[in-house]
Amino acid sequence: MIVADQFRPGTFVDAFRFIGDHGSLLLSKTSEHLELSFAALGIALLLALPLGLWLGHRHRGFFFAATVSNVGRALPSLVLIAFGLTIFGVGFWNNTAALVVLAIPPILTNAYFAIDGVDRDVVEAARGMGLSERQVLLRVELPLGLPLVIAGVRIATIFVIATATIAAIAGGGGLGEIIVNQASYGLGGVVGAAFCVSALTLLAALGLGLLRRALSPSPVPGA
Amino acid sequence: MYRKHTSRAAKASFAVSLGVALLIGLLASGGAGASPKAKPTVTIGTKNFTEQYILGQLYKQALEAKGYTVDYHENIGSSELIDTAFQGGKINFYPEYTGVLVADIAHQTAPKTAADTYAAAKKFEETSRNATLLNQTPFYDTDSFGMLTSTAKKLGVKAIGDMKKVKSFTYAGYPECRTRITCLLGLQKIYGLKQTKFVPLGSISVYTLLDQKKVTAGDVFSTDPQLQGKKYTVLTDTKHIFGFQNIAPVVTKDLAGAGGADFATVVNAVSAKLSLAAMRAMNKAVAIDKQSPAAVALAFLKANGLA
Amino acid sequence: MNALVAAGPVIPNFGQGSRCERTNGWWCTDWLHAHWGDTLQPALVQHIELSLIAVGIGFALAFALALVGVRYRLLDAPIGVFADFLYTIPSLALFQLLVPLTGLTVTTVEIALVSYTLLILYRNMVEGLRAVPADALEAAQGMGLTARQTFLRVELPLAAPAIIAGLRIATVSTISIATVAAFVIPQGLGRPIFIAIGQDLFKTEILAAGALAVVLALVADGLLVFAQRVATPWSRAG
Repeated sequence: MIVADQFRPGTFVDAFRFIGDHGSLLLSKTSEHLELSFAALGIALLLALPLGLWLGHRHRGFFFAATVSNVGRALPSLVLIAFGLTIFGVGFWNNTAALVVLAIPPILTNAYFAIDGVDRDVVEAARGMGLSERQVLLRVELPLGLPLVIAGVRIATIFVIATATIAAIAGGGGLGEIIVNQASYGLGGVVGAAFCVSALTLLAALGLGLLRRALSPSPVPGA
Repeated sequence: MYRKHTSRAAKASFAVSLGVALLIGLLASGGAGASPKAKPTVTIGTKNFTEQYILGQLYKQALEAKGYTVDYHENIGSSELIDTAFQGGKINFYPEYTGVLVADIAHQTAPKTAADTYAAAKKFEETSRNATLLNQTPFYDTDSFGMLTSTAKKLGVKAIGDMKKVKSFTYAGYPECRTRITCLLGLQKIYGLKQTKFVPLGSISVYTLLDQKKVTAGDVFSTDPQLQGKKYTVLTDTKHIFGFQNIAPVVTKDLAGAGGADFATVVNAVSAKLSLAAMRAMNKAVAIDKQSPAAVALAFLKANGLA
Repeated sequence: MNALVAAGPVIPNFGQGSRCERTNGWWCTDWLHAHWGDTLQPALVQHIELSLIAVGIGFALAFALALVGVRYRLLDAPIGVFADFLYTIPSLALFQLLVPLTGLTVTTVEIALVSYTLLILYRNMVEGLRAVPADALEAAQGMGLTARQTFLRVELPLAAPAIIAGLRIATVSTISIATVAAFVIPQGLGRPIFIAIGQDLFKTEILAAGALAVVLALVADGLLVFAQRVATPWSRAG
């Protein structure tokens, strides 16, 4: 499956040469990778975000949120990919489903704690002003809880992009396909693709981190 | 002022954790002791599919039964990769198919008989790899052009050449198949099937892809147990692009010399027993009946007085 | 006995797989019985070993770094950023980046696993140690405790909940990531999963190995929660 031709640091030079020589291949693999990741994240957001926000607003389901978080962390990505394969066979859904399952816990838990943790006085004041429950959630709680919500989305994004790499063994394509295919691309290609996917994840992490900071309300001590 | 202790504690912790790490590293790396007798250590490597696992276990356990120390590296990869590992000294023994050695590693034209293929492979190893071949097995395992029988009926094809009339089709194979004259390259050049779209196999087997109709046809092995039923069909290879593929152990000249006649006898005794029926039965036991390669190999060796 | 029978091989009856095995059932108990000892249990033991080594080394390193980071605030940011950076690299990519340097060995796997535990443990330890109230430290000094006694009897116990919380997360993550180690070395619970994927998606093996990994993580988590309650009974666990 995966083997090093020869163990030498000079392989890193080969890796950069590979990146230089195979720009279009890497670009198409990257877009495959992102397609899968964004599809999964989109579905996960649709499922987990409203639920987490609503539960947090009602201050219900703490045990549920904590359990989802604990169990979610205990699910190895490789196992999810393998389960997906077993249930759906090779295709689009096996990897997408696995990635959705992976992305839901951080999004759900963070959304819950973000809204649940908003200062109750502020919420009471808003209610006192006559805002409906929905308006309280959307106009008061959500803006205040946004940094934590985005932190959850950031974690989910990192997990998903990382696991999409492994999904290559189940027909997921993407940069992972190069990484697991040393026979075709050589060790230089494998390491080069590894660089690319690391850069991708770092960019996503940085980008969302900046977004979170930009959307934070004025500095709160200890945030 | 009360933080001073943390710097001392920090230094102590560094020392302790370094010590722990070193200790664990030493313990984990273990250390394969050299054989107490004069018998050389055999470092066996195998490629990455079921039949290779069985072959590896057969030779490993047979050698161990005769007192050799075996360092076993399963699942190294394709022929090209294992050849690189062999040249780099990572292994000194691996079972390889003669035709693959001649056509894909040595890049020579495929000979017309099994005996000629073996001779050419042996000559190649002796001149270019500082190695030699021990005796070849009676059985051979060639790549074949396989598809679901239902697909073959639908397309109306019986021989590989018939695929010319199919406008476009997908063909699944291990990644190295793409550049091999005994595989995709042969299909394209010798049969003129330029419309083939290649689908590289990852961890998923070709039969899974065929079953789920993800590909039209795929590179199957003639000893696969799945081929014994009616579900899959193999198209006839009229132009013999897939060559003759008996197994022969590739060993370094050093190992052959150090092991001498005794070593060769042990290995050749195993190879002699590997008939087509035997290999098919063992493949079936592992792939269909889900037994472990080690157990199947041991049972076979015991039944034949080799372990 | 030798020359005459040397003709053809004796092919033993390997026995037929059960109906469940041959038709790829979801949960073939006979396969599990037969192969627990030679496939699942060794993989489980290897997995536990890999994880324990990684968490052990990671804990020791993170602890040392945390003490440095707490004392020298200037170093805290770079150490934190570096650990953050390591954590973001996908596990498979990190393994592959290390292979040219340290080969297809347990060392490669351990280096990667340790890197991942570093971030979680480091952050939690630093925050835990920083959160110790200054009053408590002053009181200890006032009582005449030496610096070392203060550290061992006041700071550590107060920081313990945060440290153990980090240890919980790190342990579960390590067990999870160790499944990917099978890409590099044939060890851990990832290996049966790979083999099963190649064997026509052999469901029983995939489900069994996967379930073992999940259960292992949950059990480890549970043990640490218990350990925390025992060690620091005054704090609210989890």
